[in-house]
Amino acid sequence: MREIHKVYPDGTVALRGVDFRLEPGEIVGLLGENGAGKTTLMKILSGLLPPTRGEIRIDGRPVRFRNPADALRAGIGMVHQIFTLVPPYTALENILLGQEGSALWLAKDRARDQVQRLLEELGLSIPLDVPVELLPIGVQQRVEIAKVLYRGTQVLILDEPTSALTPLEVEELFRFLQRLKEGGRSIVFITHKLREVLEISDRIVVLRNGRVTGEIPTPEATPELLAEWMVGRAVVPRVSRSPRPPGEPVLVVRDLEVMGDLGLLAVKGVSFEVRAGEIFGIAGVEGNGQSELAQALGGLRPIHRGEILLDGKPLTPLTPIEAYRRGIAHIPEDRLRFGMALNFDVAENSILSRQWEPAFLRGWGRLDWTRILTFAAELLQRFQVIAPGVRAVARSLSGGNQQKLVVGRELTKEPRLILAVHPTRGLDVASTAYIRELLVQMRDAGKAVLLISADLDEVLELSDRIAVMYEGKFLGMGPVEAFRREEIGLMMGGVAPQGRAV
Amino acid sequence: MRRARPLLESLLAISIGLIAGGLLMLPFRYDPLKAYQALFQGAFGTPDDVLETLAFATPLMLTAITFAVGVRAGLFNIGAEGQMYMGAVSAVFAASFLPLPPGVHVLVATLVAMIGGALWSLIPALLKIGRGVHEVISTIMFNWIAFHLATYLAIYYLAEPGRAERTRPALPTARYPILAEGSTLTAVIFVAILFCLAVYFILWGTRLGYELRLVGENPEAARYAGVRIGRALLWSFLIGGMAAGLAGASQIIGRPPAWSLYATLGNVATLGFDGIGVALVGRNHPLGGILAAILFGALQHGGRFMEYHAGVVSELVRAVNGLIVITLAVPEIWTMLRRRLRR
Amino acid sequence: MKGLLRRLGWIGLAALAIGLLAYGLEQVGLKPISLLEAGLLAMTPLALAAVGECVNEKAGVVNIGLEGILLITAVVGVWVAEQFNSGTAGLIGGMVVGALIGLVLGLLAVYGRADQIIAGMGVNIFALGFTPYLLMSLWAFPGIHIFPRELMVPRWTTPVGQISPVTLVAVLLAILAHILLHHTVLGFRIRAVGEKPEAVDVAGVRVDLLRLFTSILGGALCGLGGAFMPLAWFGGVVKEISAGRGFIALACVVFAGLEPLLALAAAFLFGLTEGIAYAVAVTPGVKERIPFYFVNMLPYITTLLVVALVIGQRRFPRTIGRPYARE
Repeated sequence: MREIHKVYPDGTVALRGVDFRLEPGEIVGLLGENGAGKTTLMKILSGLLPPTRGEIRIDGRPVRFRNPADALRAGIGMVHQIFTLVPPYTALENILLGQEGSALWLAKDRARDQVQRLLEELGLSIPLDVPVELLPIGVQQRVEIAKVLYRGTQVLILDEPTSALTPLEVEELFRFLQRLKEGGRSIVFITHKLREVLEISDRIVVLRNGRVTGEIPTPEATPELLAEWMVGRAVVPRVSRSPRPPGEPVLVVRDLEVMGDLGLLAVKGVSFEVRAGEIFGIAGVEGNGQSELAQALGGLRPIHRGEILLDGKPLTPLTPIEAYRRGIAHIPEDRLRFGMALNFDVAENSILSRQWEPAFLRGWGRLDWTRILTFAAELLQRFQVIAPGVRAVARSLSGGNQQKLVVGRELTKEPRLILAVHPTRGLDVASTAYIRELLVQMRDAGKAVLLISADLDEVLELSDRIAVMYEGKFLGMGPVEAFRREEIGLMMGGVAPQGRAV
Repeated sequence: MRRARPLLESLLAISIGLIAGGLLMLPFRYDPLKAYQALFQGAFGTPDDVLETLAFATPLMLTAITFAVGVRAGLFNIGAEGQMYMGAVSAVFAASFLPLPPGVHVLVATLVAMIGGALWSLIPALLKIGRGVHEVISTIMFNWIAFHLATYLAIYYLAEPGRAERTRPALPTARYPILAEGSTLTAVIFVAILFCLAVYFILWGTRLGYELRLVGENPEAARYAGVRIGRALLWSFLIGGMAAGLAGASQIIGRPPAWSLYATLGNVATLGFDGIGVALVGRNHPLGGILAAILFGALQHGGRFMEYHAGVVSELVRAVNGLIVITLAVPEIWTMLRRRLRR
Repeated sequence: MKGLLRRLGWIGLAALAIGLLAYGLEQVGLKPISLLEAGLLAMTPLALAAVGECVNEKAGVVNIGLEGILLITAVVGVWVAEQFNSGTAGLIGGMVVGALIGLVLGLLAVYGRADQIIAGMGVNIFALGFTPYLLMSLWAFPGIHIFPRELMVPRWTTPVGQISPVTLVAVLLAILAHILLHHTVLGFRIRAVGEKPEAVDVAGVRVDLLRLFTSILGGALCGLGGAFMPLAWFGGVVKEISAGRGFIALACVVFAGLEPLLALAAAFLFGLTEGIAYAVAVTPGVKERIPFYFVNMLPYITTLLVVALVIGQRRFPRTIGRPYARE
């Protein structure tokens, strides 16, 4: 790929002249921050997006992909970060889709043998006749890979393949990729995790802001060098956390059980407490009950059994407004889904979940716009939110500024407990550092902070005490110093440490 | 530029609708230019015509509210038609059969009609909130049920003795005053505008309106914000029902010369559906709806002149309305057009 | 499969109930055979519109403009029939025009990324005005047109009454649609595209073409249903000939959970209520007792009740009504 440029229709410049090459039988690590352009580059290579400028050559011949079918025919296939599986279809059906082997009648059984043979050859084990929506994420990923390889793909692109996997599953994936490489296939491995590229790749290409900032054979690479290429000079500053004795327990959770959306228990009996002046961090791979736990604490999901005590008194009735009234500030897991309304303006978003507070109301349920506008302007200033104005629609703010707005709105609630769920996911370095610092400030000001995050580094850096959540339960809980990183990795994969109280 | 965009989009859609409507005239050898000239002359040619246009606009700005308040809460409430029938029937009952003192009578008849419309929206609302029945299906079914029920009531219980084709006319005490000699515009237009202003104030000036709009923009964020979603939806239906009921009343106690409901429902029929187009052109905004209603009122009033002078059936105006709605459904048209212009 | 069996069971029960009802009706002086006849006639346009819409919604496209298509194609069908002096030609004409409207809606939905509900409603409003305009422009008579009886598509006389060949076509089409969806490669892809268009796209299959196809197919079937009403049923066309049938068809689709065979069954159920309503309205001794207006409400009330009862037990494609774009 030479001189690839990409400008999205909305004017965002994603790629500014990128050269990229791939040899047969090698694994290239494509490293970069969110928004660096890694995924865009590979979507162009796999035919999903057309480049604005630039050319692609295969074996020296220029090619032009109009759609993914063209790329597949050229032997290039991509496994996307968000899986492209049809949820109610079985693994077999998903693998066959688009490659049914006949023009008119659907003959699944004839193709089954072929698929079976491929899977054996690859050494992948997949239950073929279960709807994929019922399979664990790790297995779904295997289906996704098998689907691409079934088309005779020589170049396999994997976009952040480890983000939803446990450490054990990651190891398994890496062994599999090595085997594929030895079989002569080439692999592009997109990630933002330094440790992973260093482990798996032969060569590393680093992207920042739509440009290649460095390229190096893996044996010569060091984490420091890669980090510098990746984020420029501004490496994430570590937040300093002064030791301080925690105060009274603010939140006490006892034997809590919560149902998930499918009517099965998602939280299966957890007990913990969060004290004033401490950050309690819950680590774990996403989808292990963290969302349901957070939603229960925020009053968004009924509890099945157990109890939630705030300042010693049960949190009833369990509604969002009662939770807010009692002093819970909730930074929700997905700001676009829960935290804001994109078509509302900044001022309207600044009172979302606070619209009931008397401070913003006049008699007869009227909104007090004078106060709301003043408040919104204060939020923008105090929390360094860059916005065209308080009347600008939230859509016009960048992700980092949207999140700062949400965080600011929640932190100014004068809370007793701050419930922060994936507070920095998908944000740029500066916003991430700023939000983490705010959370530590809150702790130092004597607030109780419950941090739920899939980013292990974040949990380790900020927390005083941690727990690891796996399949709805805590595996291990204690002061952060008591665990080694590897131990936590094992617990995230469901391996409980020996002899430690759960 | 950004602020002007909705207005420009609406104007663009109206233009496309009118052009496409003109194209529909060609196969039948009508002259579109002549037809449209007649239409606009008919709508705005004389001061009387302007008043008449406003009279046509009155119910439309109200039925537009029904749709717009629905959309603001994320609903597709197309029940204005049936709610308006029930409003009209209620108005007939209160205005023609209850002897009340002057002043109070108009007020009571208006309120009764609004309550009638709101009650008719209640069941679709409860079906939506309680059972998740899609409001398109339930409101349409209720429109048809209302059609038959209103016809039945008009013929069997409310008819003027000896004249089966219409109901007993409203008592003089229940009539809105006519604004100008010879016009059909009455003071009910002020009530309609006041209602639109009130809805505007509720939507943007109160907690209820904030919550209602939040439910429409992002229901999950609304839940997170502690909004009781069912309650917000219920209010959206009820406000819509009151608007439609008032629209029905405006044709009974606010529209000479009949001051009554035709047994065919001919003097109210389709006003509810027309409101959908009005709301969309008005960007689902109560004040935009007033402007759009005047435009559509002009089309309807002018349409009659078009029929006289160019021979084109006035119903074509409704087809143009549909074409405008279709155009407005496509958000990309504006973007595509701008890109082409830039090139 | 189990779900299907259970649903068939429900339908069996419903049929039984209707049978009992028929018996009861006979006791008060109505004839079950003529009821069945009327029911099958009323079923046909509903079934045609609903079956096509099932396939369309499986692909993730909603056409709420069925009502408008029924109206327009009813008029156009009659006009074509008069031009070619053949009722069958009229049916084909209705199909072609329905397919064209489906095509336009499909283009708007797929490439224009239109709000499908608003666009469909636009078609309905358009039809509300365009139909009387056409009636007036074509035949210079307001609101109604009666065509020569010879143009009527003849019915077959069978032991269970007179049956229109179009009714048989509708039943066959429902079966074909079932086979299409569940046993062909095309149907396999159609069902996938409604659930996860991304998957179909990365597999190298054109999402746009699939959705256009189902939209055209849905329009065509609906158009046949529209032309059926005057040409094989009423013998004339009035400006509100569809009388909400497009929306009742949508209710059938909801009831059927997008399965064509169940949609056919639902259409029969609703058709029968309409048949009953019609029979009640004309039968001496009955029509005096029950006001005609209440009988007329029956199909709409049934629709509402049925939808309210089954809703929530139906799964719809995940991306229904949403346009697809690669980021």
